[in-house]
Amino acid sequence: MGIPKIYNTEQELVLALKQRENQAFSTLYDNYAGALYSIIKQIITDNNELASDVLQEVFINIYRKIDTYDQTKGRLFTWMLNIARNASIDMLRSKSYQNSQKNQELPDNVYKGTANQSTQLNVDNIGLKKVLEKLKPEHRILMELAYFKGFTHEEIAEMMSIPLGTVKTRIRNALLQLREYLQ
Amino acid sequence: MNIQQYIESGIIETYVLGLASPSESAEFEQLCAQYPELVAARTKFEEGLEKHALANAEQLSTGVKVKVLEAIEDTASAGAGERVSLNPPKIVTMQNESKKGSSGWLRFVAAASVVLLIGLAWFSYQFYSQNSELQRSNTALQEKLNSTQGTLDKIVQEQSIVKDPNTTVVNMVGTKVAPRSSANVYWDSTNSNVYLVVKNMPKLPSDKQYQLWALIDGEKQPKDLGVFDAKDDKIILKMKDTKKAQAFAITIEKTGGSPSPTLDSMQALGKTLQSQ
Repeated sequence: MGIPKIYNTEQELVLALKQRENQAFSTLYDNYAGALYSIIKQIITDNNELASDVLQEVFINIYRKIDTYDQTKGRLFTWMLNIARNASIDMLRSKSYQNSQKNQELPDNVYKGTANQSTQLNVDNIGLKKVLEKLKPEHRILMELAYFKGFTHEEIAEMMSIPLGTVKTRIRNALLQLREYLQ
Repeated sequence: MNIQQYIESGIIETYVLGLASPSESAEFEQLCAQYPELVAARTKFEEGLEKHALANAEQLSTGVKVKVLEAIEDTASAGAGERVSLNPPKIVTMQNESKKGSSGWLRFVAAASVVLLIGLAWFSYQFYSQNSELQRSNTALQEKLNSTQGTLDKIVQEQSIVKDPNTTVVNMVGTKVAPRSSANVYWDSTNSNVYLVVKNMPKLPSDKQYQLWALIDGEKQPKDLGVFDAKDDKIILKMKDTKKAQAFAITIEKTGGSPSPTLDSMQALGKTLQSQ
């Protein structure tokens, strides 16, 4: 591979990625794979093999979709983070994942289990979930469902039996708290 | 819009984390183009998020990197293959395909067209020649019919004249000069109509014509009843009228007739009942 090329700015890296330079993807992996894998594992909590498959899929998606990345809409990491989150949630909802989760067959149980699970798994939580721990429990559950399970506000309102407006307000508040923690 | 209030609303976090609805995202992106402070706040949150994520990155075994980069290369070569056939070469392939696909089709269409054209030309020619032939035969038939009708009309007329009880038939016989000459004059003395039917009159040079005369008692000169040609054979001819006639005579005169007959050349003579 020769001497690893250095990308001084994100812009340079993006340009190289759009040129489909192998070195650029290697650099991208070195810099971000761990962070992205962390997000994936916060969604695919119980299957490292599938989480690893998702990571691979995320990089393939980045390779395929890099031309659609628009720097004016946000940072490269934000873009990749959303790809990772979407791919993880897709996996979560896929048949192969559902089949590996045979214990949770009834949707209601899944929802309840999700809430319980998130509390239980907090012990091992990492990344954003670590931040979520600091939120009030009612905020944390909503963030868990919205961000890590990919449910819409409407779905959350239905499954939690709380008004849609309340869901929105709580998630907004949770997000604002999140911002404070991240600063 | 109070942009500060908007910034504090939580929309930035909602947007960055991919939780915004499409309409919220559209509004946010539009406002970002307008308000640099909104972009600054967004970037700040993004950087915080990224920093946090990087700080909490999971360790991955090097095997995973190899696997991921191999997967990318597979995608790249598949994509390159795709691109090779997608970009110019694929266009070429598609052209080939379309050529191949449509060339068979085109060839068929072309062949069919040629066959059709030849067929059409043949039919056109057939119809054309058939049509002109029909037209020709039709015209010929029409002409034949016309002449037949004309002949028939004349025969009918002749018959009606011949059968008319008022009509007197004067049989004109050849003179010594022209013993074989013969013609009949049908003369209706009530209305003075004179008809001539040539039976046998020799052909004349083109500057000569036969002339019919009425010989009337007490008249110094025979009365001119008009000229006719030998070719009017068998067809009834309407001649000039005469009320009186003791005899009819035919002479050969110059074309157009003469005021007085050249009796030396009298060809035929027939006397009427008035002469008896």
